[in-house]
Amino acid sequence: MSDSTEEPLFSVRDLVIDLYTEQVSVRAVDGVSLDVYPGEVLAVVGESGSGKTVMTLGPLGLLPEGVSVDIRGYAECSGQSLLARSGKELARLRGENFGIIFQDPISALNPMKKVGPQLASQAMRLRAVSKAQARVIALELLQRTGIPDPEGRYNCYPHEMSGGMLQRVMIALALAGNPKILIADEPTTALDATVQAQILELLQDIQRKENIAIVLITHDISVVAQMADRVAVLYAGRVAEYGTMEDVLTRPIHPYTKGLLSSVPDFRGQRTEPVTGIPGSPPDQSSLLPGCRFAERCPAAQHQCREKRPALVEMADVNKAHRVACPIAVSEGWGQSNDS
Amino acid sequence: MFQLIARRTLLALAMILAASALTFALISAAPGNVAALIAERTAGPAASAELVQSIADDLGLNDPLPVRYGRWLLGSVNGNFGESLRTGKPIADEFAERAPVTGLLLLAGGAIAFTLSLIIGLLGAISNGGPLDKLLRAVSLVGASAPNFFVAALLVMLFSVTLGWLPAFAGSSAASWIMPSLTIALFPMSVLSRVVRVNLQEVMSRPFATTGFAMGYTRFGVLAREALPNIAVPYLTTFGAQFTLMIIGSIVVETVFALKGIGAFFIEAIRFRDFISMQATLLSFIVFFVFVNLLVDIICLLIDPRIRRQSNA
Amino acid sequence: MPDSLKLSSIAKWPWAVLTPVLLFVAVSILAPWITPYDPAAQDYSAVLQGFSQEHWLGTDYLGRDMFSRIIAGARVSLVAMSIVLAAALIIGVMVGSFAGYVGGRTELVLISLIDIILSLPSLVVALAFIGIIGPGYWSMIAALTMAWWANYARMSRAVVTSELHQPYIEAARVMGAGHLHIFCRHILPHVLALVVVYASADAGALVLAIATLSFLGLGVEPPTPEWGQMLVDGMNYLEQYPHLVILPGLALTLVVSSFNLLGEHFALKKVPKGLSKRRLGILKKRRAREEMNMLEQEAKA
Repeated sequence: MSDSTEEPLFSVRDLVIDLYTEQVSVRAVDGVSLDVYPGEVLAVVGESGSGKTVMTLGPLGLLPEGVSVDIRGYAECSGQSLLARSGKELARLRGENFGIIFQDPISALNPMKKVGPQLASQAMRLRAVSKAQARVIALELLQRTGIPDPEGRYNCYPHEMSGGMLQRVMIALALAGNPKILIADEPTTALDATVQAQILELLQDIQRKENIAIVLITHDISVVAQMADRVAVLYAGRVAEYGTMEDVLTRPIHPYTKGLLSSVPDFRGQRTEPVTGIPGSPPDQSSLLPGCRFAERCPAAQHQCREKRPALVEMADVNKAHRVACPIAVSEGWGQSNDS
Repeated sequence: MFQLIARRTLLALAMILAASALTFALISAAPGNVAALIAERTAGPAASAELVQSIADDLGLNDPLPVRYGRWLLGSVNGNFGESLRTGKPIADEFAERAPVTGLLLLAGGAIAFTLSLIIGLLGAISNGGPLDKLLRAVSLVGASAPNFFVAALLVMLFSVTLGWLPAFAGSSAASWIMPSLTIALFPMSVLSRVVRVNLQEVMSRPFATTGFAMGYTRFGVLAREALPNIAVPYLTTFGAQFTLMIIGSIVVETVFALKGIGAFFIEAIRFRDFISMQATLLSFIVFFVFVNLLVDIICLLIDPRIRRQSNA
Repeated sequence: MPDSLKLSSIAKWPWAVLTPVLLFVAVSILAPWITPYDPAAQDYSAVLQGFSQEHWLGTDYLGRDMFSRIIAGARVSLVAMSIVLAAALIIGVMVGSFAGYVGGRTELVLISLIDIILSLPSLVVALAFIGIIGPGYWSMIAALTMAWWANYARMSRAVVTSELHQPYIEAARVMGAGHLHIFCRHILPHVLALVVVYASADAGALVLAIATLSFLGLGVEPPTPEWGQMLVDGMNYLEQYPHLVILPGLALTLVVSSFNLLGEHFALKKVPKGLSKRRLGILKKRRAREEMNMLEQEAKA
């Protein structure tokens, strides 16, 4: 973990992302500001549709084709702005700084390409090494990511490997360019439960040994508890709560965070109460309405919640890094246990 | 893998047998007696019934159909297609003379269509909805709709009549092949460029394309590196079909440019009701179609690692 | 029928791609009333003329009015195409459905026959038939039908085979419905829905085939005005009077293009596409207005 006096590697400020299709216009990200510091694991948590993937991959130009994207605000990596750049410049910045791991490795790897040579060509391009060196690096990467018999697997096609193996290949591919930041978008969701733990361990190991920052996009609180240094809870495109993993998971303040945690049966073996969850469903993000997005489902909602957007305020008395976007919960004080 | 190819090959041979048997049966059932036609040619309109009968006996025309088919097929396999009713020349000689013309036309047209369709489809995908994409889409639509003979006429008007650059009729010069090849290539090129464009678009919306972007490639890089290899199978399948369809283009083009190829031979055979030549030409077409399709099938099997490796194991 | 073509949603029909086709059909039907001259009337005092007040598109080598011949040619193409399409459709649907419904050895034989025909380009099959039965208008119609039905038969059989396995067919059978009843009431609509849409797009290829056969002298015969055959006539005058070739060629290309446009509309896989710049601009403006509204409301509160 790093202290916040350090320069952030990747940060977004007041990021607004609108997605347009012929049918709907959706405000997927609505004024998000976040920083990722060197070597830390930032978990971005939220339900599907909360904008966690769009927020992270949008500024990198990695949203799927077929959707028109409008990004406003500011996003930078190592002091270089990511927005308003040509496709070529952005591609270079992506390659040099980021490694990305997607949810479903089976569809995220090109079925026509052997895994080894693909790793090697990526290493050759981004590390400027010879072909022979690139092959050695590719084999090292396969070894590093825990693939047994790298030599034997070198010439395999994706369809010849299991999902867990492929996710390791995906991680190797993300590491091939010596990235500063690893973005893992639901890296374990598509995998078997037993494999999930191994992949998380691998990611943790990489983060510790190589001091790479990781942005972990997930809806799984137990994954957050296992890996994260800091947590940002997203709801309907806005940050509801942000803080250290300890603060957010054990002393949640925002009603949404509390609800989210209560919908997890047993993330640390401490709970015995029945799972409660959150009534209702996420709001329709196609229309822009004033007020707090969570108000409709919030047990503590008051009249003012529907009139004014709540600001993200620092919990000054405890930990400056802990911020919550709910004036009601903040005024009631922090630290209520989450099963109140 | 080997088994798969062997099975496809056997199937192809069966297809040739069935198709040739069907055409043979149909042509044999045609009105108009071959023996009478021959008799008419040798002895004039007043050919006697006995002459017709003896010619029919000589040719074995009174044998049962399967026997005749077997005899014909055996002869054809040995390169003996019989003699043309129109010219009296052995059809095998005609083929030997004409096959290179049609072959060259198909190869040149196929090469043009192959190259240009990839370029046009890729350019359209790069432009992706821009003005160039729209223009190229219009070009493909018109190219797939304009009749061959009209295209040929327009080319002659432009390059021979107005500009005077190219000879209007095929001679021996290499330049005389340009217009026929372009004409024959336009249709497959247009269809194939749409196949490239549409499939590229589809592949670009798949997750592994996003992975390509994530690896630091530009849109062009992803198109060329990740998407293009993945459209190989649909592209080659359509290319095979279009390549065989060029036979029709060849028939028209050979007629327009007075080229002495197989296509022109087929049309002459039809016009003069030269059944023997028709049969032989149809057999050669069938073999060509089935062979091209078999070749494409095998190439597609070899290209797709999912199929290739699976059947090995 | 696809939902987009239901009569009730007429406003949502793809008018942009339907209009050119409908225009062609309208011109063909109205041809006898539109043509200023008898398309076959020869006028030796006015041969090979250019564009003029009397003859909008000039005249050919027999002094026949080109405008009238082009319009009349549309009708000839439409009529021939419609006959072939209707015949091929009826035969194809009948044979294909029968094969699918009966199954067993009969199906195998019929499917093999269909596959053999489809292994050859349609026009080669048509040419072979013309070779057997001799040239002429009606042999062209018959030959094209023989070449075209197989495709519809294959489609029909596929639909029938898949529908037969649907549970509701089983239910109808249990309730004692006869074969004919089941077929006509439950299966045929599915077959027709697919086949008719395909046929509307296939029409372009057929117009092209008719013109090609006529161009080769094996289809529509003179003096009937047919575009492919008019183009052959014009070839002799290519150097001095290119309009004799360009006009029928252009007419053909336009008509076939409009059918192909329609076909592409039906056939294209629906891949999500980004919005056009203009459309995106409009949506962005709308969104900006919405945002202003929201901020104003929040400021008031």
